[in-house]
Amino acid sequence: MTQPAQAPNVVKLKVCMAGEAMVGKTSLIRRFTMDEYDDRYIATLGTKISKRILPATDPATGAPADVHLMIWDVMGTRTLRDLLKEAYYHGAQGILAVADLTRPETLSELDGWSSSIRLVSGDIPTHVVMNKADLAGERAVAEADIEAFCRTRRWPWTSTSAKTGAGVEDAFRRIVELILASRVGDLTPSANGGGPPRPT
Amino acid sequence: MNSPRRPDTAMLVRERLSRNADDTDALFVLAALRVNEGRLDEGLTVLERVLVLDPRYPGAWTFKATLHRMRGEPNAALRARAKAEEVER
Repeated sequence: MTQPAQAPNVVKLKVCMAGEAMVGKTSLIRRFTMDEYDDRYIATLGTKISKRILPATDPATGAPADVHLMIWDVMGTRTLRDLLKEAYYHGAQGILAVADLTRPETLSELDGWSSSIRLVSGDIPTHVVMNKADLAGERAVAEADIEAFCRTRRWPWTSTSAKTGAGVEDAFRRIVELILASRVGDLTPSANGGGPPRPT
Repeated sequence: MNSPRRPDTAMLVRERLSRNADDTDALFVLAALRVNEGRLDEGLTVLERVLVLDPRYPGAWTFKATLHRMRGEPNAALRARAKAEEVER
């Protein structure tokens, strides 16, 4: 007689997008959840939640887990950021901080976003996404500068193109891995490793 | 090279509400704009309309808690925060 397959643990995670207007936050979510891209820019108004279930391994137990990823898309309007920070970031477990490879100021502005988020959610895992990698001819941020910026803040980073899809799946998976790895100590105080390595 | 500019948020809200007066995204942002202008009572009224239209609107109960705190209403803030925990669980 075959054993019934064990149902994977369900882990519900809230990940919030952060970053200036027009860096491609909504396009990244759209690519990740629907594998679609639309060249027209439609400014986000209000709050949108998108969901996707990802198979993962619980780093605490090594058991399979289904991650129910709730991705909160927010407006890149800086004037309302502080007022809405609790509404957006309360309960967030991870941040995908998005900047635009063609606009250097969008990388430095991530400090402002991070400060605002940390007031609400504390020091939660953050993964930096340098988007618009398809615009190679317009690139205005050197890899060394990104590396230096992120190393100082101990934020891993990757580049993506919501337009072509390059790197998008990987970026979302990395923030999930970061969150799961950060929870190992909370779940099993005696755990001696076994979780996935943190992306560098 | 000039950086691209996001369209003015207040203008976007007006456009959306002219097409649909019950657009909860636009109303949520209108509430925030009113509060940002110092019109706290008006902002709260608009936010309460969002919650009538969509009691599960993401972040709306937490925002309501923030507004009650700003108005010096700790009990109402606690109730709104509890509701936020319930709907976002």
